[in-house]
Amino acid sequence: MYTCKDSINLLLDFLDGELTPEDTQHLREHLQGCSPCVDFLRTYRATPGLCKRALAHKMPQEMSTKLTEFLRSKIKSAS
Amino acid sequence: MSEQVAPAPEDRQEEDRLLLSRAQAGDMAAFEALVEAHRDKVFGLALRMTRSEADAAEIAQDSFLSAYQHLKDFRGDAAFGSWVHRIAANHALMRLRHRRVVQAAENEIKGPEFTDWGSLTEYPERDWSRDAEEKALDAELGQAIQQSADRLPEGYREVFLLKDVEGLSYEQISELTGDSVPAIKSRLHRARLALREAIDQFYNQGNPQE
Repeated sequence: MYTCKDSINLLLDFLDGELTPEDTQHLREHLQGCSPCVDFLRTYRATPGLCKRALAHKMPQEMSTKLTEFLRSKIKSAS
Repeated sequence: MSEQVAPAPEDRQEEDRLLLSRAQAGDMAAFEALVEAHRDKVFGLALRMTRSEADAAEIAQDSFLSAYQHLKDFRGDAAFGSWVHRIAANHALMRLRHRRVVQAAENEIKGPEFTDWGSLTEYPERDWSRDAEEKALDAELGQAIQQSADRLPEGYREVFLLKDVEGLSYEQISELTGDSVPAIKSRLHRARLALREAIDQFYNQGNPQE
């Protein structure tokens, strides 16, 4: 019988669909009897999306203008 | 921090294909339109990786210039956005390799703790995954995530950013970093555990990690 630690160590491969059928079966058996690990799985799965939203950035307008000017000058001097 | 309203990916890719073929024929306005469409993603990647606006601005310049110089070689078998994204990731990684930074030690990565017989020592008080999907992002939560990501050792932060934020495949990350796919997966898992822990603390204890 897998422990919480065993199960949590398999979550990345499980979510990637890359677990062996045996490990998938063991993990499912553990999850059926362990609601904290079910919550853990759900929150582990939600983490990347939340981080992606938290870490989004836009280029400031002034920097965008400088980028355009930089590219125009470089491309013009090369042609 | 901001959320973008972007066209559907398939519309963006179709528009990029048209712009690309005009840019390859020498139409500078078409190239500038491609830059405008992808500059936020490129800048965001560079800023997340380097944590420096000045470095991110230079990486964006170098990446788009490099893309322009290789436009004619680009065969269009990948999306322009993915291509320029990988160029930027490469530039950002090269810049990081030249930096000497004080690294957090691997054993400082926070994650769940277990008893001697492998059970979680603390059970999650509640499942916040649905809140995370439905609610607008809380500014303090955003800050907690940022701080937690900043505390990760560089190799872990890079892998997490490239995979979970930038959406590169394990193979692409392996190509960029020179690390094996199993090593990348192992670091990604530990990075996710640390970030999940920070978010869990925010939701269940009402404050970010110290």
